[in-house]
This record gives sequence, C-alpha cells and structure tokens, in this order.
Amino acid sequence: MLTLKNVSAGYNGYDVLKNISLNISEGENLCIIGPNGCGKTTLIKAIAGLIPHTGNIKINDVNILSMKRAEVAKKMAVMSQISSIYFSYTVYETVLLGRYLHMKDRSFKQPSVKDKEYTEKCLKAVDLYSLKDKQINTLSGGQLQRVYLARTLAQEPKIILLDEPTNHLDLKNQAELIDFLKNWSKEKGHAVIGVLHDLNLTMKLADNILLLDKGEIAAYGKATDVISSKLLNKVYDMDVAGYMTDSLKQWEYYTGEPFKLRKVN
Amino acid sequence: MRNIKFTASIIICLLIFVSGIALGSINVPFNEVISIISHKIFNTELLPSIISNHVSIVWNLRLPRTILAFIVGGALAISGTVMQSVLKNPLASSYTLGVSSGASLGAALVIVTGFRIPLLGLFTLPSIGLLCGLFTVFIAVKFAAKMDKNLENNTIILVGMVFSLFVNALLTLVTALSDEHLQQLTYWQMGSFSLKDWSSVLVLFPIVLVGAIVIRSYSREMDIMTFGEEQAFTMGVDVYRLKWLLLGLSAALTGSAVSFVGVIGFIDLIAPHVVRKIFGSSHRIVIPMSMIFGGSFMIICDLIARTIISPSELPVGAVTALVGAPFFAYVYFSKRKEL
Repeated sequence: MLTLKNVSAGYNGYDVLKNISLNISEGENLCIIGPNGCGKTTLIKAIAGLIPHTGNIKINDVNILSMKRAEVAKKMAVMSQISSIYFSYTVYETVLLGRYLHMKDRSFKQPSVKDKEYTEKCLKAVDLYSLKDKQINTLSGGQLQRVYLARTLAQEPKIILLDEPTNHLDLKNQAELIDFLKNWSKEKGHAVIGVLHDLNLTMKLADNILLLDKGEIAAYGKATDVISSKLLNKVYDMDVAGYMTDSLKQWEYYTGEPFKLRKVN
Repeated sequence: MRNIKFTASIIICLLIFVSGIALGSINVPFNEVISIISHKIFNTELLPSIISNHVSIVWNLRLPRTILAFIVGGALAISGTVMQSVLKNPLASSYTLGVSSGASLGAALVIVTGFRIPLLGLFTLPSIGLLCGLFTVFIAVKFAAKMDKNLENNTIILVGMVFSLFVNALLTLVTALSDEHLQQLTYWQMGSFSLKDWSSVLVLFPIVLVGAIVIRSYSREMDIMTFGEEQAFTMGVDVYRLKWLLLGLSAALTGSAVSFVGVIGFIDLIAPHVVRKIFGSSHRIVIPMSMIFGGSFMIICDLIARTIISPSELPVGAVTALVGAPFFAYVYFSKRKEL
C-alpha cells in the first residue's frame, strides 16, 4: 500500500533521516518510536509531503511526487495535533472541512447530500454528534482531538498519519483513540502510521514497529520482536523493560492486585 | 437563527444606506430619497413635494458619495478578513503588510509631481496608488520568502511591518519637503469622500465586485488555512499559490480603495472581528457580511464626518479611528472575557 525506498529527508540541506525503506500493507498499523531528535516527526513530514525528500515514496506503486497534491490527499491524511485555535468554528463545520476535496470540483465548493451524510457519519463514529453545534474553542482537549479525528476520517483516506496524537489527552481518551484507530484500520483494510512516545500505547496499536536511532533504522519488524530486542535499551540508553516492569510492580504493590498479562486485542 | 441575523443585518444596512443619503447639512425626507432614486432609475413619477435642489443633492452628491463609502468600507473589510485568515493573526490588516503605506506613497508622489498618465487622466492617482500598494506587498512577501523559504506567517508580518514603517518614513519625507502640497497630502492621509462623484463609483465598483467574488470563491480554502498551513496542505489545498493570490487580491482591494479616498484605518480590523462574533468564522458568511458591516460602518463614519461640524467636514479617517478604537477595544476585550 505504501512503500518507502531509500528515503532521506531533513531541513536546510541537512539530512535528519537517512535511507529509510519500509513497506506498509493494507490493514497494518505501524508505530514509529525512538528517542527525541531521532527523526520520527521528520519521517511523518516526509511521507506527508511537507518537506522534500530523496528516494521513493509510493502509494500503490505510484510515486507521490508524480501525483497531484489533491490525489495524495484523497489517499493519505494527517491527523493534526491540538494547537491554537485562531478562529472558532462549530464541530460540524470543522468536520465538514474534511470533505473539501470531495466538494472541490463543484461550483462554489458546496457540500452535497453525500458530504453532509458522511460528515454526520464521522461525527457519530467518534461519538460527537450531540456536540455538532458547539464551538470548538469550548471543547475539552479530548473532545477536540476527536473532532480532528472525525475531520481526518471525513477525508476518506486509505492511510492516516499521526504525530504524537495522544499529547494533551487523559488516559481514557488516549485508550479510546488508540482502540478506535486499531478498529478502523482492521475493519476497512486501511493503514495507520503513528509516532508515539508511550510504549504502552505503541504495544496496543502497533502490528509493526519502526525503531529509529539518529535518523536511521535501528530495528523494524513485528511489534513483539522490536520491543523485546536488546537494541531498544541501546537506542533509548536505558533499561526500558526494567523501567516498565518497575512501574508495574508499583501498581501491584499499591493496588494489591497481582499483575497478570492480558492478551492485547 | 443565522437567517434572522442575516435578514436583520440587511435591513439595518439598508436603513443606514438611506440615512446616509437623507441626512446632512440639508435633510431630505426618506420618502423623497426613495422617490428620487426610483425616478432616476425606473423613470417613475417624482413626489410633488420634491424640490429640484433635493434631486440634485440626492442624485449628484449624496448617492454617489454614500455608494462610494459603502464600496470602500466593504473593500477594506474584505481585505482585512483575508489578511487575518491567511496570516492567522486577528490583528493583521492592510497596514501590517504595508499596502496602505505603499498606496499612500504612490498617491503622494502623483500629487506632488503632478504626474499624469495620458490615457488615464484623473485616474492616474488611483491607478498609481493601486500599483504601489500591490508592489509593496509583492516586495514584502518576496523579501519574506527570501528570508524564510516556508513563508511563515510571522516572517510575513514582521517584514510587512518593517516595510510599512520604511515606506511611511518616505511618505513623511515627501510630505515635509513639499510645502506647496503639505495640507493636501496631510488631509489625504486622513481620508475623505468629499467631492467624489459617479465616476469614482463606476471605476471602483467593478474592481471591488470582481475582487469580492473571487475571494468569496476561496472561502473553503480560507476556512481550512485558519487551522494551519501544514494541515491545509495535507488536506489538498495549494497553500503557497493561494497565499500569494489572496494577499495580492486583498492588496488590490485596499490599494484601489485607499488611492480613491485616502488612508482610512480600523475598518479592516473591526469588521471581521464583529462579523465573526455574530455569525461565526465560516468565510462563506464572514466575507459577504464583512462587506455589509464595513460598508455600513463607513457610511455612518462619513455621515458623522460631514455633519458634526457642518458646514465644514472632518477627515473620515479620523472618525473611523475615534469611533473604531474604543469600539474595537470593547469587542476585543468582551470577547476575551467570554473565553
């Protein structure tokens, strides 16, 4: 579905990413992890076309550089992080903007009945329909993140790119977002590529993990393989597994509940 | 609810428009105003009570002046709306990018040198003003692009302010060195609709109409761009090209308006704020309603300017600032309080 071959990218002539090659198939969730400054966001930006790259990025065997911007946007969407709202819109208006490309060819870019129905469907999918007339600057962080998710879904993409989507979200909202994305990709046969700092969430979402170190691939493969790899400790320069199990032991100690491994959905 | 607000705004705008024609040093009753306009356009019978002097006042003086005030106010308001949306800065305006300063300098040079383009004659002044306004924004954005390849909004605003201050300094220099035109230039820099006739309306109207329609056709893109340029790009908006186009169009609107009537501030800042507060942020509504609000507000300011010390007139730019500054402060701070 999405392939990267020898992709390098960076800023001001300096390559932050070096020779990244990946293959993401339908229904796959790929999480990109690594310490700060390793090139996670740069990789997402390069795939999204926000920064120039060398090498090949192809969607269904077509190089994205040979596609029109609108064609790329119909196949691939980026879910934005929560940022400053300069001018407030209603929840419905904001999600409807996701239909832009579908309205573009109509006179005055008017939404069709299908656009309106699809917008409502996306609002219902993220459980926001009852808030559709509220101004987005009155929403909580979790609600706003769901608005942006609904807008991304309204774009009808085959691939969703996420850059630290759980920032500013509380635990419940984090879990709900990750569950939603996981179900979305599996049900539709689409793909999710996300940068996540939280390794617990990464394990919940990822089929495959890409571990980056100083702009290069340190490990890439099945989530369980990468997370158990000794490279993880080397890249993060700490005992990752030890740190995780320490916090689990603390939970066990304070709650009195013996820890049992549950199968991840 | 929005439809009620929309209808109420149209009715208030019409009342302000008719008041702008009816009121002045000589008051003409509303029914006479309507009868005169109807007579001139549809050739209907004039009311028997109307004296010929009133026909001349309404048709030759007040109507073109009021229409011009509406067009100029509307053009400035649309321009401000675009600047604020594209630059994602609620305090951005034509001044921010130096459009008004550029147009003023161009017009000042025409006044001082007496330069005339043969075919354009009297329209040399607005044409040069328009071109200089556009030229300033072109140079400012080009310079900003040189400094910052991504053409970030903060860079544009900072470069625009630097250019604006620099061009203003040149304008002050031209004004100071020109004793003969000192009063005319000073007065022009404060804006006025005095002595404007149908010819100004006929030239400015198509420019503003076309500009407004084209800008309105990019409402969706402007909505998306207010969420951030990277987001807009990934949603399929051609951000870089559109930014140039919209800034150019709004500069053309401001430049042409300024060069006809002089520098008039605050409308471009106030109108989008008030309209967004009443109608929300969707540009499909904000653009036409900003035009209606800006145009109506300008008519009121012009009415105050020509009646408050009648038979003399105040510069309308002074009135927009006097009324606009406290009004803006009220709107801005009451909005912050709500948030």
